[in-house]
Amino acid sequence: MRDYWLSKLFFDLQTPSVAAEYRANREQFFDKYSLGEPVRTAIREDNVPFLGERVNPYLLRYYFFAIGMKDPEFIRRLRDG
Amino acid sequence: MASLVGAYAASHGPLLVREWQAVPEDQKRRLTAAYREIGKQLSAAKADVLVVVTPDHWANFSLDNIPAVCIGVGESNAGPPEPWMKDFPHKEIPGHAEFAGHLVEAALREGFEPSVSHRLKLDHGVCIPLWRMELPRLPRIVPMIVNSIEPPFPTVRRCLEWGSVLSRAIKAYKAPLRVAILATGGLSHSIGEKTMGAIDEKLDKECIRLFSGKSEKLLAYLEKKLPKAGNGTEEIRNWLVAHGAAGGRGFELIDYLPVPTVIVGCGFAAWRLTPAGSRRAAPARRGTSVRRRRIA
Repeated sequence: MRDYWLSKLFFDLQTPSVAAEYRANREQFFDKYSLGEPVRTAIREDNVPFLGERVNPYLLRYYFFAIGMKDPEFIRRLRDG
Repeated sequence: MASLVGAYAASHGPLLVREWQAVPEDQKRRLTAAYREIGKQLSAAKADVLVVVTPDHWANFSLDNIPAVCIGVGESNAGPPEPWMKDFPHKEIPGHAEFAGHLVEAALREGFEPSVSHRLKLDHGVCIPLWRMELPRLPRIVPMIVNSIEPPFPTVRRCLEWGSVLSRAIKAYKAPLRVAILATGGLSHSIGEKTMGAIDEKLDKECIRLFSGKSEKLLAYLEKKLPKAGNGTEEIRNWLVAHGAAGGRGFELIDYLPVPTVIVGCGFAAWRLTPAGSRRAAPARRGTSVRRRRIA
């Protein structure tokens, strides 16, 4: 199951200027992309498995790479939650 | 009349750039040699146009619209958008609008309906192989994006048939263009899934073996295995396009090595363009340094 707006957010964050804005004010993007509260919480908590059920795996990896999570930690969270 | 002068496959993966320094030296040497070998063969083939069969890693298409197949018909395409590909030497990559347009029309006449784009961003899937091949001269690039990233995917049979369409379209093109094909991606890998990092060496070797046999066995194997083989493995679809274009005669394996540091089973191949035993249409191999590898 795909969450369209979450996917759209992760897709758009590939644009460096958008990513810079996101880093400056993440909460503003939550409104702009109409994200539901559980998704907002998952983003705030870097909840990899929760988000992984809602977006394409490549976009998921891109997002966590972009926010600075190293691959070993990302893989650990994928597997162990 | 145009002619197919080469068909190749090469793996790609972001970590081939981002983690290159961490790759063990012996694997670095083999990877470098394999890419260079394809570069040498492609240069010797004097290709005017290179059709690069590749996935789109979310550089162009979002959930708003994901074509099964998209052909780049523009005069030029953009270089890789990924910040970590900033040192790739080409920011603009010339296309071949006339040949690409012919390819689209030929496909439509055969009942194949690709999407078209007049300007694509060519991400690392295209540009890592082109970069590592160290080509002295970049041929004009006609991108053929085959969706292997976001389901549903075109069937493996359809991908093989696409190769036949490519072959016939090349033969039907009136100008004496030398066309080569590069399939990028695969072999086994898993990205952003619980199995991320896994390489299925057994599957890779079986695929390599089956590419030298009957296409039906290859298709049956892939239909069964791909859905559970790690999402990156779906890129073998691109190899099927090259396989179909080359007439399904199998390939010379340039190298295969699982590289845990880059989390990809890395495969490199050059298809046979003429029946086994006859004089090869592929370019001479003088000066190449890679010994053809046999899979144990």
